[in-house]
Amino acid sequence: MLESFSNFLQNTGFYALFFQGGGDIVTAVKTIIMIAIACVLLYLAIVKKFEPLLLLPIAFGMLLSNLPMLKDSNAIMMHTEFFTDPQYMTDGKYINVGYICQHGGLLDLLYLGVKLGIYPPLIFIGIGCMTDFGPLIANPKSILLGAAAQFGVFFTFIGALVLSALVPSISFGLKEAASIGIIGGADGPTAIYVTKTLAPALLPAIAVAAYSYMALIPVIQPPIMKLMTRKKDRMIVMEQLRPVSKTEKILFPIIVTIVVALIIPDAVSLVGCLMLGNLMKESGVVDRLSKMAQNELMNIITLFLGVTVGATATASSFLSWQTIGIIVLGLIAFCFSTAGGLFLGDIMCWLTKGKVNPLIGSAGVSAVPMAARVSQTVGQKENPSNFLLMHAMGPNVAGVIGSAVAAGVFLAMFSNI
Amino acid sequence: MYSDGLLTGQNVSLSDALVTGGTTTLVGLSIVFSVLIILMIVLMLFKLIFRQKPKAQQVAVQSAKVQEQQAPVIDDNVDETELVAVLAAAVAASLNTSTYNLKIKSYRRIDNKMPAWNKAGVTETINSRF
Repeated sequence: MLESFSNFLQNTGFYALFFQGGGDIVTAVKTIIMIAIACVLLYLAIVKKFEPLLLLPIAFGMLLSNLPMLKDSNAIMMHTEFFTDPQYMTDGKYINVGYICQHGGLLDLLYLGVKLGIYPPLIFIGIGCMTDFGPLIANPKSILLGAAAQFGVFFTFIGALVLSALVPSISFGLKEAASIGIIGGADGPTAIYVTKTLAPALLPAIAVAAYSYMALIPVIQPPIMKLMTRKKDRMIVMEQLRPVSKTEKILFPIIVTIVVALIIPDAVSLVGCLMLGNLMKESGVVDRLSKMAQNELMNIITLFLGVTVGATATASSFLSWQTIGIIVLGLIAFCFSTAGGLFLGDIMCWLTKGKVNPLIGSAGVSAVPMAARVSQTVGQKENPSNFLLMHAMGPNVAGVIGSAVAAGVFLAMFSNI
Repeated sequence: MYSDGLLTGQNVSLSDALVTGGTTTLVGLSIVFSVLIILMIVLMLFKLIFRQKPKAQQVAVQSAKVQEQQAPVIDDNVDETELVAVLAAAVAASLNTSTYNLKIKSYRRIDNKMPAWNKAGVTETINSRF
């Protein structure tokens, strides 16, 4: 009787927290800090409504995987060591799927979808179904703004390397720097896709940074937009877009896929899935598939992705100077991406002698449709009768393609070094 | 090809970071731009191939004279721009054209002489559609 009670006590989380491994107080404190961080993120998601669809699962996943558990307990849902520690891998570098299936918890199994690169492309199918490339087809020049807004990605790449050179406690190599830079693409699935390949240890920090800053776009962008444009230019009313025929909308995804595949094959799993979704929508012949992809499929994958990415945030990987570095660099990435788009917007405004409103440049970061809405709001403040939304959607969807291409560039350059 | 420091992230030298970062940025940005420029050219070709001849309709909007005698009752305190926008959109929609082809020169309020029961019916119908 007494023995079984004592056995029960030794199985509790309290015991695991305070007495496991001879009562390591540092680990206990770190565990408590991680749980606190998870709760703060839950607060941001629920009360402040920061991208709740993603942040809530991420935060709860973080909570689940940081609960104090006895070593080797069957209750552990996530074993990050299975994916990072060479001891558990075959040949010291490939994950051992058989072992994970036998010994892993629920979140381990779901995390395979991230690790094997399944979830982000599936999410892109859903995004493709929800995206209207019409404004982009009607105004092809706006695609350049989507390219210019990738400036922040590369600028942050340099920034991460420089930080690594200057601060001894931060060590970002090329792969880590590329993963951090891609935050500037303002595209969650793309950032996750690159990071899980190049720097899996940084995945939780990068995902949290990317999604938090995406939620903060309406706060981050307007000051930069006002700083980089003239009041006169912000008031420009743009010409109405030409109507786009159905044939063009159907041809567009097919051509983009072929062009991207020819130049940068590493981007095809993202761009190809995006365009598959878009073709399903525009062709109008697979209505059921299109509805399924943008609702059920997307929701299910978002849940799996969020929970498992959050669950990879262990105290040892998350509580470090690197995480703080990533948070700072992520903000820089967003600012410079915005600035890059605006800069080209200014140039286009000047070249067309005032036919292009430079504010649509900031929509080149790919957070759809948030960035376009910010352009609309800022534009309308200067000129209440101005409707920039549709014009800004062009660069906005171009940004999705642009950041996927940038991701492909990084993958091609660094995945095999 | 890359120094050990850059590969592992340990002991990265500043010059290495700047040189490698700079070249990667140049190469990367130019690839991104070239892919999107190619797409832009394709889209411009689209425009040429699929150009729909704009219907040469300079719509001379006949202001529908529904009521004649009413003097314009305009409250100066009301912001008119929104009302004008709505009117323009409504006219454009019914004429099947764009608001860009229209110029609203003036508008005039017409007193509603609908019987009370009709009004109630209209309100009810509208509310049931929300």
